[in-house]
Amino acid sequence: MRTTVPIAVAFIAGMVVAVSYFFADESAIGWLRLEFLVWLIIVGGMTLALGVVSIVRVNWDAVKKRKEGWPYKVLTLVSVFAMGVPAVLPESWSPLFGRNQGSIYEWLFTYLDAPMMATMFATLAFYIASAAYRAFRARNAEATVLLITATAVMLWRVPMGEAFLNLFPGDIPYFLNTYIMAGANMAVQRGIIIGAALGAASMSLRIILGIERTYMGRG
Amino acid sequence: MSIWTKLETLDRRWVYLMVSIAVIVPFIIEAKFPISITPEARKLFEAVEAVPDSSNVFVVFDYYASTTAECEPMSRAAVRHFFRKDCKVITLTNIPLGGPSMSERVTREVALEYDKEYGVDFVNLGFKYGYVAVLSGMGTSIESIFPTDNSGTPLSELPLMDSVYNYDDIEFIFEVADNATAEFWVSIVNAQYGVPIGCGTTAVSAPKYYSFVQSGQFVGLLGGMKGAAEYELMMDQPDLAVRGMAVQSLVHLLIIGFVVLGNLGYFLGPRKKKRSAF
Repeated sequence: MRTTVPIAVAFIAGMVVAVSYFFADESAIGWLRLEFLVWLIIVGGMTLALGVVSIVRVNWDAVKKRKEGWPYKVLTLVSVFAMGVPAVLPESWSPLFGRNQGSIYEWLFTYLDAPMMATMFATLAFYIASAAYRAFRARNAEATVLLITATAVMLWRVPMGEAFLNLFPGDIPYFLNTYIMAGANMAVQRGIIIGAALGAASMSLRIILGIERTYMGRG
Repeated sequence: MSIWTKLETLDRRWVYLMVSIAVIVPFIIEAKFPISITPEARKLFEAVEAVPDSSNVFVVFDYYASTTAECEPMSRAAVRHFFRKDCKVITLTNIPLGGPSMSERVTREVALEYDKEYGVDFVNLGFKYGYVAVLSGMGTSIESIFPTDNSGTPLSELPLMDSVYNYDDIEFIFEVADNATAEFWVSIVNAQYGVPIGCGTTAVSAPKYYSFVQSGQFVGLLGGMKGAAEYELMMDQPDLAVRGMAVQSLVHLLIIGFVVLGNLGYFLGPRKKKRSAF
């Protein structure tokens, strides 16, 4: 029962959505497909709630047992509730609730969360500069090709660099865009995309047909 | 100790200091360099220009707050361009954390410039979990997937949504993304429903999407802050991205300088056992 039911659900859901592609939206199977998609959104939404339960359990346990770094766990719990609770309370109770402009959630996102996320991402510039200095070496032929190409593309992607490249004869920016980005790069990326798509299709088929069962937590 | 040895062992804090200076200086000393327009950005601009005036369009805010510096100038320029053409802008996001807030803020700020009214000229659908289901389901009925807008107002109460049922009523989709959702807009919405899509993405993601431009699945592509700057210039409205180009130029040149110095130190410094780079 614990194996058969999930496999049956996966088979029916997968087949309906796949087969409905060949039928009009107004057909019965088209209607069933839309119902399944709405159910998927509802079930997916519930997994977010499950995530909240999980993060609270794990962090609360660490705080109770005073594990290493427990003050950070307290901060995590406070943050989860400070952002989550006012966001889900109805706006009709107070303009501070909900997710609109002027709400607590909006304020916390705009003035705390967004700057912190941007700061974390911006610090990458420092690490990239340091890593470029220490690790990006022309140690062999492949590394040299990579280094020269990356340097040229980096130059081309900024106005000062492009102005510098234009000092040389031949249209180097045009060459970089046509033969590197829309040439070699595109060919390789397309190969990766097609390979990943074939992998996803075969994995989907394995799940629909009940061959792949690891999603149930066992092989 | 030779200068090359010193270079090899340079304290990383000097690197950090120089990056800081490179970021700050362009804000104090203004330097302007010509910004060339790439064919991919021009194609996108021309495709948006070709959208009939007053059409219904989607602007999708599929990016996190961490990449606001690169992505927001694109979404801002896109909303401006559509409002300039008197198009009806419908925004949505597949990013739960802050996506609806960012789309709300950007659209409302730009709407003030063009005197546009919420519900009549633009609507924010907000976020729904599960982008594959969301993108696929909107092909049948947008209202089934988003019964209300981001504020909880039923779509039936918003005049703009009277004329919008599914993708058949959408003329163009401008997707701004810092993640793989752009690929699903291609495989689900463009491939299955034929809606033209233009994409703006971070510089690190852009190389991946050249193949979609070549195949016509994206009508054009903006790559990183440079792409946003190109779009702002084509619109004759230079803004955040054009200003950011000076900073990005200096930091790029600095990193290239570090690469050159690092390699000089490596080759001219004391010989040591060469290691493979990979």
